Amino acid sequence: MTSEPYLSAHLHRAIAEDPRTAEAGVRATVRGDHVLLSGDVACEQRRADLEAVVHEVAPDLHVVDDVRVVSVAEPEGSEELR
Amino acid sequence: MIRIAAVGDVHLGADARGRMRPALENVGEHADVLLLAGDLTRHGTLDEAQVVAEEFADLPVPVVAVLGNHDHHDDKPVEVARLLSDSGLHVLEGDAVVFEVGGERIGVAGVKGFGGGFAGKCGSNFGEREMKAFVGHTIEIAETLRAVLASIEADVRVALTHYSPVPDTLRGEPPEIYPFLGSYLLGEAIDATGTDLAIHGHAHFGTEQGMTPGGVRVRNVAQPIIRSAYTVYHVEPMVRAAVAG
Repeated sequence: MTSEPYLSAHLHRAIAEDPRTAEAGVRATVRGDHVLLSGDVACEQRRADLEAVVHEVAPDLHVVDDVRVVSVAEPEGSEELR
Repeated sequence: MIRIAAVGDVHLGADARGRMRPALENVGEHADVLLLAGDLTRHGTLDEAQVVAEEFADLPVPVVAVLGNHDHHDDKPVEVARLLSDSGLHVLEGDAVVFEVGGERIGVAGVKGFGGGFAGKCGSNFGEREMKAFVGHTIEIAETLRAVLASIEADVRVALTHYSPVPDTLRGEPPEIYPFLGSYLLGEAIDATGTDLAIHGHAHFGTEQGMTPGGVRVRNVAQPIIRSAYTVYHVEPMVRAAVAG
């Protein structure tokens, strides 16, 4: 079994380098039998792609997916720089 | 007063086509210019760049962009920039644009930037060829940014980069990776040139607000930070005069 720090590193690289994900802004935190995914992605499909890639690298871990789809709403207000 | 809309790290691809467009079509109600702080695509392919072009073309305000590291991944940054330029975006890499808004001029200088780290905790242009190439790339870009910012004649001067010029806006990221997120050399260029505002992206877990050692406001507009299609800053031309005076 791969030790936790190496598994974390493998997940981090897979999420950043796999063409299906290419996400440098998603964190994978391994805790025992669980891996927590957190961060933001541009659309719902990318959450599913992340889970698929993570499952391939660490099929024995239970994925807890806290990844959010980023809002594309119009801004509320503005900041005054004086 | 000049209204600046900005967003970075939109990471568009075919799967996200059209998501931002409804908010973008109203950008003229919020702002006079829209700045894009790099990482417009996921892999830097021309197909993804085409999605970006369709998303940001024909908007009611000028759109000014720099590329980010993701936009370089497919090794076609020149072609990506050309495709976006052909669609009416102003894509900057070592150059600047100036627009007149209500009698006031805003000048934007843009470079991608690069890493290296921040004062006292940074790489040096020394040792292996690979290390010298890494730090040398940042040195070259920072020198270009300084020259371009200094050349701008405008009432409001803005530096647009993908990488961060300060560590302030990286808070929330692991400190160990700061050298991959920005460089003090960019901040030094900004401080040397009477710049009013620095806009960057890249740090998804960072924070929005920061300041250079010389007192220039810095804003991290990575979309996961601003949580909207874009954010808006109102900049008074006298800010620079007040700081300088």
